Amino acid sequence: MSKQHVQTTINGESTEFLCETSQTLLDVLRNELHMTGTKEGCGTGDCGACSVTLDGELVCSCLVFGAEVHGKRIETIEGMAPANDLHPLQRQFLEHAGLQCGICTPGILVAARELLKHHPDPSEEQVRYWLAGNLCRCTGYNKIIEAVLAAAREIRETHHHA
Amino acid sequence: MPESVFEPGQGVVKVTLAGAFEPLTTEPQTFDLAVSNVRGVLRELDARVPGLAALLEEESAVAIDGVIHEIIYTQPLAPGTEVYFIPRLESG
Amino acid sequence: MLKKTDAANIPVELIGSSPVRPDGVPKVTGMAQYGADYALPGMLWGKVLRSPHAHARVASIDTSRAQALPGVKAVMTAADMPDQDFTYQGPERVQVNFWHMTRSVMAREKVLFAGHPVAAVAATTEAIAREALGLIEVKYEVLPHVIDVDQAMQGDAPLLFEDMITRGNEQAKPSNVSRLKTFQAGDLEAGFAKADEIVELSFKTEPVHQGYIEPHAALARWGADGQSEVWSSSQGHFVVRAFTAQLLGLNVSDVVVHPAEIGGGFGGKTLVYLEPLALTLSKLTGYPVKMVMTREEVFEATGPTSGSSMTVKMGVTRDGTIVAADGTFKLQAGAFPGSPVLNAAMCAFSVYEIENARAVAYDVVSNRPKAVAYRAPGSPIAAFAVESVVDELARRIGMDPIDLRLKNAVGPGSSTIWGPKHAHGGYRETLEALKNHPAYQQPLGPNQGRGVASGFWFNGGGESAATIHVAEDGSIALATGSMDVGGSRASMALMAAETLGVPYASVRSTVSDTASIGYNHVTGGSRVTYATGMAVVQACQKVIDDLRSRAAMIWDIDVDHVVWDDGAAKPVSAEVGDFAPLTLKEIAAKRAVTGGPIVAEVAINAGGQAPGFSSQFCDVEVDPETGAVKVLRYVAAQDVGRAIHRRYVEGQIEGGVAQGIGWALNETYIYNDKGHLENAGFLDYRVPVASDLPMIEALIVEVANPNHPFGVKGVGEVNIVPVMAAMANAIRDATDVRLTALPMSPPAVLAALEDSGANARMNEAVSA
Repeated sequence: MSKQHVQTTINGESTEFLCETSQTLLDVLRNELHMTGTKEGCGTGDCGACSVTLDGELVCSCLVFGAEVHGKRIETIEGMAPANDLHPLQRQFLEHAGLQCGICTPGILVAARELLKHHPDPSEEQVRYWLAGNLCRCTGYNKIIEAVLAAAREIRETHHHA
Repeated sequence: MPESVFEPGQGVVKVTLAGAFEPLTTEPQTFDLAVSNVRGVLRELDARVPGLAALLEEESAVAIDGVIHEIIYTQPLAPGTEVYFIPRLESG
Repeated sequence: MLKKTDAANIPVELIGSSPVRPDGVPKVTGMAQYGADYALPGMLWGKVLRSPHAHARVASIDTSRAQALPGVKAVMTAADMPDQDFTYQGPERVQVNFWHMTRSVMAREKVLFAGHPVAAVAATTEAIAREALGLIEVKYEVLPHVIDVDQAMQGDAPLLFEDMITRGNEQAKPSNVSRLKTFQAGDLEAGFAKADEIVELSFKTEPVHQGYIEPHAALARWGADGQSEVWSSSQGHFVVRAFTAQLLGLNVSDVVVHPAEIGGGFGGKTLVYLEPLALTLSKLTGYPVKMVMTREEVFEATGPTSGSSMTVKMGVTRDGTIVAADGTFKLQAGAFPGSPVLNAAMCAFSVYEIENARAVAYDVVSNRPKAVAYRAPGSPIAAFAVESVVDELARRIGMDPIDLRLKNAVGPGSSTIWGPKHAHGGYRETLEALKNHPAYQQPLGPNQGRGVASGFWFNGGGESAATIHVAEDGSIALATGSMDVGGSRASMALMAAETLGVPYASVRSTVSDTASIGYNHVTGGSRVTYATGMAVVQACQKVIDDLRSRAAMIWDIDVDHVVWDDGAAKPVSAEVGDFAPLTLKEIAAKRAVTGGPIVAEVAINAGGQAPGFSSQFCDVEVDPETGAVKVLRYVAAQDVGRAIHRRYVEGQIEGGVAQGIGWALNETYIYNDKGHLENAGFLDYRVPVASDLPMIEALIVEVANPNHPFGVKGVGEVNIVPVMAAMANAIRDATDVRLTALPMSPPAVLAALEDSGANARMNEAVSA
């Protein structure tokens, strides 16, 4: 059986790849395109470590087939930072110690960026419920929430002054 | 069995095997030993219970006046020190 | 040797701050490489065939059809690894018996749990490797199985090892009890006779998994010259090297292990699962082999902590003196001996000064994966029982639970059940911090309750090595062999920068592979900031002595007249001469003429560590209709000696508490009657999510350990110890019902409320 030929856009770059029908987007990203920033924690959509956006919607890439993204737009953790700089979320995660082992961090950053696009001034409760699909076993979530709220503040202030 | 001879410069150190170190010992025991470091303790214990030194080196840590240490031969022991050999720890 | 230091009183500039860690940017940009992120040219994929039976004899394995599948390059069984002698080596409770370990890594005569590895395949793609597994024919003779610890101890229980005699009870006939040990002090009968109130309760806990988000992964490359390389996520690449070499019959130095970044361990990655298999497959195929576990495999086949069955009896006088304590702790070891029951027995009563006490420990094998360390292994389990009983004692005599603990609190000189006296304080201070917290006095609403609990953990020392190189421009390269799980590279850099008197940003902190630095024991046991930190500081001191002697050479004076102060060499006084200070950069520029590169390595076997103490309270609200427990507030006080990196210290406390909350309320293993795990995934193995928890409040208490240059006490583990008891005590306070089994999930809480009629009372309270 021949492979699927897929054309897509990843982090703004036009990309094409070949994949088996059964391969997930997560598998394609990590093992065909060598973009290992997106992590596999469970393979069944329960942990959120593999979060990416697909046509602007937050998804678990382990629940999407590689073949499904033909003609669509994908954004991963590798595209989050502008060249040689950091997104406010990334910077605040470092300042606030929002990571310990860091394996859940790419998925949480992608999810948090979507949150702030839709809710630029979230409450603590809103952040907690939005991120409920992203498991973290190290931090107890305290500093993740603090970092997201701090980034939200920073982004609002930047836009305010822009 | 060699007798403990108290030599000048060596004080008496109280050494307890806290628990059994099978198969060589089956219950806690306490000894008063004339030694000045941990190597001396192991030597004296081994003279009383052949093979015990190797077993202790492998399987135990040592508490010196309550402070836990790995077994290091040259660790000095002042007269009147209390030494316990305790089972080594697992950690996670 | 240890030098007592004035650790508490040294003025510091950098220690206690919270700078960004060296691996921070790679981790937030997706560039950091974890075990599954490595690849090599020509790499094959490996997959493991696992037993479908919980207990069976392996009659035969036929791999021929699998070998014939196009794309399959090798199939291995245990026959491809040398067998090991049956001897217990090293620390008995870690149970390093390689006869057991090789069988745990891959089965030989028997399979002992559903998920036990039986064979493995290397193929050109993962899909082909998976397909090949289905073509391996294994003939099993299925045997009856037993999983629960109490059932495994019954006289008619199926035996995992037909000839296993209990060490510590050699007269009994073969059983599933691998070890029986008693710790005792004083006279129990006399003690209980003095008591005004006696409480005796029995407890049952289910096994829980460490729950790291990153599944195990390894990449191995065998060279035709017998030199191998392994990349894996572990908590100790030197231990990975040692175990892999032993299991495959190799010289230790012929295996180089590279430390990948690790996505969580908590004790569960202090040993090997995939590395020996991947390396064997690489040897058989001549290509590198990569193996990554699925989440199902992690739950089915890697070691959780033990389930337990416990009984604790304690007696107290009316004035609050605990006069006697007696505990029996039966812990599940899994398929091979080695539960953390001895730790449990030793830690159980260790926060209390009790003259008459006994702890009896049973290590029991049963048909599930071998138990592995999980954050203060054994201590949280015992604490659930002991701290629940102490709570009942406080109620019986009408005493505040913190006051009861203060009355019996250990301090320096207090005795222990396992022999030596306590040498360190800190416990009392954690209780006082809790008592002084403003929220402790705040009143609660209907169906709300408050619970208090304390915990103890030994903390570790052991072997660590650190190397410092002063680069040509005076910047510092710092390397250790301690895997960084949660930011320790930053803490090492802080301690080095503080000692040398240089900016944090001029210190580059890395972790070296096993070929590049001396032996380092695992990253676990709350030992790295203590022991590896000590090695780092001593290495810096050696560098300082070297820098002073080079300055002396440059100035042509005696080295005793040179001091190191604020990052520069200076003459000790004006009499010595008029010399401007020489910075690291200036001395480094002159390194060649003063003798060559400026380097120091220190390797130690650290002792003198202080134990961890934590005291905690929590407020909960129980829903009488569903049994759901909501955590309203959680306050955890812990003595850390000295916080090197403040935010990471808080993070350890917050993280341990969160794990304890999951253990208390939801986490468990659900087996069917065939011994198969039914909840082998994060959907049904329910760990806390962000919306389950409030902000956890960490109270950092600092009672310095004079044996460490900065007063450090290990911080990682003890924070999980009190949590389940604190939650049970809070639920008791809210409902008048005490749960003595974990997890206290909604159905369990609801059933307990209904049994006692409590929920009728509680519904009334809400509607009143």
